[in-house]
Amino acid sequence: MAAYLVRRFLLMLLTLFGISVIIFGLLRVVPGDIVDILFDSAGMVDPAGKLQIQKELGLDKPIPVQYAQWIGGLARGDLGYSYISEKPTLGEILPRIPVTAELAGLALLFSVALGVPLGVISAVRQNTLTDYMLRIASLTGLSMPAFWLGLLILMAIVSWFGDMPMYTDMPSGFWQQLGLYAIPAAAVGFRSSSLVMRLTRSSMLEVMRQDYIRTARAKGASVQSVNYNHALRNAMLPVVTVIGIEAAFLIGGLIVTETVFNIPGVARFLVESIRVRDYPIVQNLVMLIAVVVVVINFIVDMLYAVLDPRIKYSD
Amino acid sequence: MTAVEFESELTRAGARTDTLWRKTVFFARQYPLGAIGAVIMAVFVLSAVFADFITPWSPLTTNAALSLAPPGGAHWFGSDYMGRDIYSRIVYGARISLAVGIGSTALGCFFGVVLGLLSGYLGGWVDLVTQRLIDILQALPLLVLALVMAAALGPSLQNTILSISIPLIPYVARVIRSNTLALRELAFVEAAHAIGMSEFRIAVRHILPNTIAPLIVLGTAQLGSAILTEASLSFLGLGIPEPYPSWGRMLSASAAEYVRTAPWLVIFPGIAISVVVFGTNLLGDALRDILDPRQRG
Amino acid sequence: MTFFGNLTRFATACAVVTGVAASVAAMAAEPKHGGTIKIYQRDNPPSASIHEEATYSVNVPFMAVFNNLVLYKQDVPQNSMSDIVPELATSWKWSGDYKTLTFMLRKGVKWHDGKPFTAQDVKCTFDMLKGTSANKFRKNPRKAWYDNLENVSVENDFQATFHLGHPQPAMLALLASGYSPIYPCHVSARDMRVHPIGTGPFKFVEFKQNEDIKLVRNRDYWKKDRPYLDAIEYPIITNRSTAMLAFVAGKVDMTFPTEVTPPIQRDIAKQDPTAVCVSAPTNVSTNLIVNRDAAPFNEPDIRMAMALAIDRKAFVDILSEGQNKIGGTMLPAPDGVWGMPDDMLRKMPGYDPDVAKNREQARALMAKHGYGPDKHLKVKVSTRNIAQYRDAAVILIDHLKTIWMDGELEEVESSNWFAKVARKDYAVGLNLTGNAVDDPDQAFFENYSCKSERNYTGYCNPALEKLFEAQSQELDQAKRKQMVWDIDFKLQEDVARPIIFHSTQATCWKPYVHGFSPMVNSSYNGFRFEDLWVDK
Repeated sequence: MAAYLVRRFLLMLLTLFGISVIIFGLLRVVPGDIVDILFDSAGMVDPAGKLQIQKELGLDKPIPVQYAQWIGGLARGDLGYSYISEKPTLGEILPRIPVTAELAGLALLFSVALGVPLGVISAVRQNTLTDYMLRIASLTGLSMPAFWLGLLILMAIVSWFGDMPMYTDMPSGFWQQLGLYAIPAAAVGFRSSSLVMRLTRSSMLEVMRQDYIRTARAKGASVQSVNYNHALRNAMLPVVTVIGIEAAFLIGGLIVTETVFNIPGVARFLVESIRVRDYPIVQNLVMLIAVVVVVINFIVDMLYAVLDPRIKYSD
Repeated sequence: MTAVEFESELTRAGARTDTLWRKTVFFARQYPLGAIGAVIMAVFVLSAVFADFITPWSPLTTNAALSLAPPGGAHWFGSDYMGRDIYSRIVYGARISLAVGIGSTALGCFFGVVLGLLSGYLGGWVDLVTQRLIDILQALPLLVLALVMAAALGPSLQNTILSISIPLIPYVARVIRSNTLALRELAFVEAAHAIGMSEFRIAVRHILPNTIAPLIVLGTAQLGSAILTEASLSFLGLGIPEPYPSWGRMLSASAAEYVRTAPWLVIFPGIAISVVVFGTNLLGDALRDILDPRQRG
Repeated sequence: MTFFGNLTRFATACAVVTGVAASVAAMAAEPKHGGTIKIYQRDNPPSASIHEEATYSVNVPFMAVFNNLVLYKQDVPQNSMSDIVPELATSWKWSGDYKTLTFMLRKGVKWHDGKPFTAQDVKCTFDMLKGTSANKFRKNPRKAWYDNLENVSVENDFQATFHLGHPQPAMLALLASGYSPIYPCHVSARDMRVHPIGTGPFKFVEFKQNEDIKLVRNRDYWKKDRPYLDAIEYPIITNRSTAMLAFVAGKVDMTFPTEVTPPIQRDIAKQDPTAVCVSAPTNVSTNLIVNRDAAPFNEPDIRMAMALAIDRKAFVDILSEGQNKIGGTMLPAPDGVWGMPDDMLRKMPGYDPDVAKNREQARALMAKHGYGPDKHLKVKVSTRNIAQYRDAAVILIDHLKTIWMDGELEEVESSNWFAKVARKDYAVGLNLTGNAVDDPDQAFFENYSCKSERNYTGYCNPALEKLFEAQSQELDQAKRKQMVWDIDFKLQEDVARPIIFHSTQATCWKPYVHGFSPMVNSSYNGFRFEDLWVDK
């Protein structure tokens, strides 16, 4: 087990290194010179001033040197300065993380709270009308673009209530925050809930076909208790896996949703920064996302090892 | 899966497969949802192909008198800010979505298959390197990778296709690799080895055809996700440029501006995306049931 | 009456009626102290340093942090020479030959960090703008404004003199713009971008990207009893529909200036009938830029054909429901001070209301160069990836079709646009040009002088530039007007940068907001906000 852990950990580092190289390289081939972009808001470009800024930002050095400087900085915990706001990158990224994290957490909660029970019901009532309806509903969820759903919800709420919670101020209390995030979280969570539901359903079905369930039934346990106790517990394993991965992938949905709902989270910040070629922000932020994904995958793998019934039974 | 196997699968399921019509009827009976999906996809593809014949207006012509005209009359779905007919734009938009969907899925599948086959069949250091590459590509959420790619390449149809295809590679490569690994151990591959067939020929002749079934399942599933990703990218202004009628673009900020004054600008393109992706999902589920019975629900 | 006349007069009548109603309402009550106002900000301003940027996304939130030497009177909608009032200067004096301008400065004024303001700060500011000081701007977009300024001399702590190369009475107009704040000597250019220090009515508190900008009242402001407000907040809402929702729902008290289009304005009127909306010209023109070096556009006939193909009324109708104005380089009268008479306007190429006839001429020109129904000219029309640009570009492409040009739109990532244009990496482009000061000295020199960095098309006509200088030195305003019209006419005739229309857009605020007058000939100068007050 220890050897496995170490191996996995080293591979994780290797992956992160690969990502850093790719992101750094990709950003450097982006058409549009960051210095030209800085000049854009002035509506002109001054060649002498351009050289000066390139020097200031260290962009005149060869790309490998720039890369080494970035990684060296990372190792020291120095993420550099944003090109646009000219403030420390860390100070720009950190305060935005809780906003997105809370939104993602809420969306995840929503997707589990909705997806798991519906998936179980759908599996237990396999091939009934309920099952069909639920499956269609979940497919619908998977088919709608999250931002469109968000727009529709916005539209509906405004035309019914004439008002809606909106981020024009830092939310002050817990309830205000919940009110503000509930709708966008639901818009994002709806999609993942469909995924969770489908997965719960199929893994429930698979478990229900297995011998030990049949045995339990034969032993006289009620169908209900067998379904809900034995089957659900064992079916949760793959579900946990997907939920873990989904947690990281929610960021994709959040990018568009934060834009629609004007929430100043880190996901939208990423898009804005890509747009203005703010390299220090983009490369550090993408690395952060990669670290989160890779670490979550690592944890899920560990959890899998702990939860897997086969491992448990062999103990 | 070859045609012969497909036949036998249908026969096994009790179908009378003597005519194409009967086969179709059987499919529709057995997989009603899949049939609906197939119909949606057929309509989608036909609209894309025959857009010129089924639209009364050009999707690009502006008209001052029709700015934000509501649905009805000659303009079934109304018109946008610049008086362009929404119905025509949606029909032509099917072309863009189809091009992006099929283009990026095909491209992603191609590279995925090559990587998966190489890595699964050759093993060794090739496998090791490929696996790391896949790890790297999978460590970023699809949209994030597509976003960075799209920004790096600049907005255009080709670049959008490329940006969306790359995040698909690891999914395909993984499935193909595990299939290849399983197949490699099978008797007929060993037999091929024994009679001295070259590695390349074995891979292409024997292993590749046997991975087609999971590939089709995966491809259909990814088609929907490619269309959704294109919509998101275009919504964010990094996908297909104006004035091409991309559905995602039609929903972008400038249209969303009229969400209250002219909701048809937002409703119809969104429905178009949702219905088509819904169709790919329905069809994908049915195909998976037929082609990959182990996963049958 | 011509259709131009009709259009302009009708639109102006609307603006005037609403404007008068608004100011009457404002006068009805006694101003109150205290309170906070929220104005949504349409995008992230590129920095907080007004001198380094060329967008009113910077002026709107940050003008209130600064003072000028002189300023356009904030409650007079039309900026003109006769409505310039002293700010950090207490008075000014021209020499007889209009070559030296002396300012007497206000005593006892403090920068927001407590340091005293002196004549040295004035000198520092203009040395930086001239590029002669050690403390340098990264970007200096309005350097061309001060070509004629030789230097600023400091006689004592409270007197500074501007020495000009040739007489330029309009120098004062440039100094009165929101673009001409006085910067402190003791703060670096970098710090001014991140945390600006001014002498103005409000102090900078913070600017968080995608979130908000906050200003608080300057308790040591030199003007007694001002400002009225305790704070101004600018929540950043980049999605215009979300922003309008926020306004209707009362989450912000005022829209970002000139961001409300006619359909949105109707919606606001329906949702919140009490909201006050005033539409006014922004002095931002939408124009066609043609790369004069790229074949076949080096051919004057082709450029002329393009100018003739434009149906200006169609643009105005589609994009603004008839509200935008048609004019030359200078904003049309009566809002603009320098607009030319209608009959003169109609004689310019492509301005004749008979569009069919114009296009007939255009096709004849195209035919001369071998183009026709069977041989179309393919053109790439580049524009910035912003709705305002894109929408107009799509219409332009539609119009070019009538003269056998097949346009393909190239959307340029917004932040790359000017760099691309400056590199001349385009053939045909659709561009927006904002004129901060309604004065020919700004418009002509900045956009058409041979060496200006913002002369995107590279149009260079030395003979005409002589006339730019002649009008600048002309003391008789009536004579100067005639000269300006002639220059403007010549610019359109040369297809220097065909002006398609001048935008008119609305600003809306809640009825309890008082003391704001939108300006009718600039969208860069009216945001000192010291007179703004709320009655909630």
